[in-house]
Amino acid sequence: MEFAELIKTPRVDGVVLHRPFMPTVEGTLCLTGHHLILSSRQDNTEELWLLHSNIDCIEKRFVGSLGTIIVKCKDLRVIQLDIPGLEECLNIANSIEALSTLDILSLMYPFFYRPMFEVIEDGWKSFLPLDAFKDLETMTDEWRLSEVNKDFSVCPSYPPLVAVPKDIDDDTLRKVASFRHGGRFPVLSYYHKKNGMVMMRSGQPLTGTNGRRCKEDEKLINATLRPGKRGYIIDTRTINVAQQAKARGGGIESEANYPQWRRIHKAVERSNVLQESLIKLVEACNDQSHSMDRWLSKLEASNWQTHVKEILTTACLAAQCIDREGASVLVHGTEGADSTLQVTSLAQIILDPACRTIRGFQSLVEREWLQAGHPFQQRCAQSAYSNSKPRQEAPVFLLFLDCVWQILRQFPCSFEFSESFLVLVFEHSYASQFGTFLGNSTAERAKLSLPEKAVSLWSWVNRPQELERLTNPLYEANSLVIWPSVAPQSLLLWEGVFLRWNRSSKCLDEAYEEMVHIIEYNKELQNKVNSLRRQLAQLETEDPLLQTP
Amino acid sequence: MEFSEYIKTANVEDVVLRQPLHPPGRGTLCITGHHLLFSDREEGSCRQVLLLLRNIDAIEKSVENLLTCSGLFSNAGLSQSGVSRLSGSSGTITIKCKDLRVLQLDIPGMEECLNIARSIETLSCLDSMSELYPFFYRPSNASLWDQWGLSSLERHYSQMKELHDRWRLSTVNRDFSVCPSYPQAVIVPKSTDDDMLEKVAKFRQGGRFPVLCYYHKKNGMVIMRSSQPLTGANRKRCREDEQLLQAVIDGSDKGYIIDTRSSQQALQARMTGGGLESKSCYSSWKRLQRQMERGKALQESLIKLVEACRDESNNMDRWLSKLENSKWLSHVQTALSTAGLLAECVERDGHSVLVHGSEGTDSTLLISTLAQLIMDPSCRTLEGFLTLLEREWVQAGHPFQQRCAHSAHSHARLQQESPVFLLLLDCVWQLWRQFPLALGFSEALLLRLATEAYASDYGTFLGNNQQERCTLGVKENTHCLFQALLRPRERDCYSNPLYEHTELAIWPSVHPQSLQLWRGFFLRWTPQTHHLEEAQEEIRNMVIEWGKLALSSCPAST
Repeated sequence: MEFAELIKTPRVDGVVLHRPFMPTVEGTLCLTGHHLILSSRQDNTEELWLLHSNIDCIEKRFVGSLGTIIVKCKDLRVIQLDIPGLEECLNIANSIEALSTLDILSLMYPFFYRPMFEVIEDGWKSFLPLDAFKDLETMTDEWRLSEVNKDFSVCPSYPPLVAVPKDIDDDTLRKVASFRHGGRFPVLSYYHKKNGMVMMRSGQPLTGTNGRRCKEDEKLINATLRPGKRGYIIDTRTINVAQQAKARGGGIESEANYPQWRRIHKAVERSNVLQESLIKLVEACNDQSHSMDRWLSKLEASNWQTHVKEILTTACLAAQCIDREGASVLVHGTEGADSTLQVTSLAQIILDPACRTIRGFQSLVEREWLQAGHPFQQRCAQSAYSNSKPRQEAPVFLLFLDCVWQILRQFPCSFEFSESFLVLVFEHSYASQFGTFLGNSTAERAKLSLPEKAVSLWSWVNRPQELERLTNPLYEANSLVIWPSVAPQSLLLWEGVFLRWNRSSKCLDEAYEEMVHIIEYNKELQNKVNSLRRQLAQLETEDPLLQTP
Repeated sequence: MEFSEYIKTANVEDVVLRQPLHPPGRGTLCITGHHLLFSDREEGSCRQVLLLLRNIDAIEKSVENLLTCSGLFSNAGLSQSGVSRLSGSSGTITIKCKDLRVLQLDIPGMEECLNIARSIETLSCLDSMSELYPFFYRPSNASLWDQWGLSSLERHYSQMKELHDRWRLSTVNRDFSVCPSYPQAVIVPKSTDDDMLEKVAKFRQGGRFPVLCYYHKKNGMVIMRSSQPLTGANRKRCREDEQLLQAVIDGSDKGYIIDTRSSQQALQARMTGGGLESKSCYSSWKRLQRQMERGKALQESLIKLVEACRDESNNMDRWLSKLENSKWLSHVQTALSTAGLLAECVERDGHSVLVHGSEGTDSTLLISTLAQLIMDPSCRTLEGFLTLLEREWVQAGHPFQQRCAHSAHSHARLQQESPVFLLLLDCVWQLWRQFPLALGFSEALLLRLATEAYASDYGTFLGNNQQERCTLGVKENTHCLFQALLRPRERDCYSNPLYEHTELAIWPSVHPQSLQLWRGFFLRWTPQTHHLEEAQEEIRNMVIEWGKLALSSCPAST
């Protein structure tokens, strides 16, 4: 297919662009296969380069021969284009609609994007399972790396290499895979160095209505328990939802068959509910009425904050079982690719200081989301503005980032990265020039040869100039477990994402700059003092007269 | 009166104190005339908690004793109270403070517990002002001869040279006979003499005739404030009042009157002798009615909000709907937008404004203060802000004693209590949050002021007006809070390390989405805000360190 077919009018002059917090710009609008570009051709005004894949939906209006297109983006920005000429406007609108909803992965921009920067470190190779396993080996020898899924036949959504208990062979794994939803047999998610306890994740067991059991499954998860110890299964569904799942072939681990495990049910919402919640929240945030009551009741009605609280509570529970109870944990919901990952990854943020560094966080996203098979392509196809009927869309990953932000806000000195890093990851998960978040699984990414054909987001992030921008100036390594407060009063709306385009952050940004400046100056002076002290010590040893009595 | 009459049990050993953010401690509890003192005698710690009894809003007591036993021994128990302490009887006192902290004391011995509780109840709400702690507080680092207060209207006037053409300082109120709630000196238009002022005072509620409160240097426009005119049902008018106001807008085409009541409220006020400036008599003034909540409604809103903050049901919907129901944030929004309107009239429209509500001592002061912060950079420094508070709240006669008698926990029937000053601090905090560089003081200052207004070692917020303070000899017998806040160590703590002077007006966003709950105050005693304070502390330390380093490294490097 040629993009040119979809672009009837590639260029319009005299288009007026309105953007939040920026002066109006008049210039030439160009459409390319992947971008909407508006340039005034003057040096001093910033050009607009908008990826079509960032466009969630458009609205068009006509007054006489002047057309207006309102472009609503997946990063929640809303911009307006005034286009002279009815036909031009219609053509542009049609092109945007077609180009922004292309669903052929191989035509996406990451396959065409060539980096304009020097790649110091190839992000595709930065977080390989093999390296993670090497770290694990330094702590324990109870686990092995299995290649049972090397051709993705056992579990299509798992990576080729997974960590499993040492005593469990590949045949057993195959049998277990047929007993778990989507073939997602229990694998290692996190090893808690402090006490050797582990967190595993999987899909739901396929017990069905007649209570099918699988001895190998029991053997596998029991292999992770210390003799005489009990473990916890955290099921992210309510007991009712879990029971109902039996009718469709799913189910739960029965007490009879898993006597060493205690099952705890939590209520983390499923995807379609989350998507509706996001739509309501964004609508509330964009509400222009001046009524405080209306805002607060809309915020409440969106239920978004409730989801944040439920997810954080469940993650704290998992972390508590591991750190305080000294027990191993298995987490799953239905498919084990959404709420399960929210819980396992947040528990690691709480427990493991390494996950709170920039690199550690990348590694966490890579391990617990990308390689663990969170279907980004499906979940992030549309965002809050889209009018099309939601299918698989859900802001599961955005909720995870929101939860991380809540913890970051409560522990402002314990994270190496700042809020802007979380916002950046959010943006790229919905639309990006990088290939990192393309596809639904490692298998899909391998099939598309993404690592060879596209650039990784991490290649771009892990360069000094970017790292500097994303670093939290207040960071002080904190090796402790950090327990966030999950009281509703403690949780805030993430303004950095949801009110980003509604209120100017100029003054806040200035204050942040000032703080950074103070911290840098402080370091500088500290160095100066140290060197002066050294100088003084040196002088004192050289000249005995200087040694005051 | 002797305090000792009220203290039956002054000392109790082996008391357990539970307070937020600290592990429980066991130690000795003492009650004095003004304080509750707890000292932790456990090994390895020597924690002391000193609580001003005035800070206690309400207490709850529960005694667990062997009821049957006390029934049996009731006669004997009374006669030999000291000896027959019933083993196993104990009591718990929950102390709810005006700064929203909640403490719990587990006291062995039922009788001791009841005695302590009774002492606290009596001593925490003594009526006689001269017995309050400020009259007894004698810190070692300050003397009663030190300067009291930061400025006076006389000084303010003499510094503002640009006023002298058209404005004069009047001492018509030197013996507080014209207006009991005004200070001795006020600034009025030059063309109005003291006789006129006396007549105008009779036409305004509480004698609060229109006085100058702010002069906008950029365009010479002013903010005046007063109380409502006493037109009554038969629409009385007062030529002198009209002349005074005419003199204010001399040379300009019109002025605005911002009335902080709804039109209906203002019209109803006629029935009770109040009223509003009619169009016919004040033809060059345009009246804008902006309803602001006052008195009881605000107090109830605070009570609801604090209750919501203490809700432990862990339910997000419940929290958000309780927050909404409390209406507190709506009050913040109204106050800020009305102040914004006032500032717009002066700065953007270039017109003078008269502000009043009914009494002119609450919402009037709230918006005139906020408008000055918005427009005038000199109010935004630490000193400037404290001077503004001194002028617009203490000297202008906000009745602190009545408004801050009780806070959110009290079960006592509400009389004159109302958190107007707290609402001001909240609004200032919203400004501070939206313009982190523009204000020279820190959140810590706002928190300190919020505590001090309700219970203080200092005399600054004592009494309801200057007259009362004079009668009590506050100036001679107590220390001044504002002076204390400006001592070098305090100054470090209460300055904003990020402050950068800006000449521009700071227009706050009053969109509901832009306003936040002041967590630093309302959730101060819950663990999560604690970490944020640590981060603030970190920045502050850095700046202080920086100052020291800059000093010490300069001579060495040259």
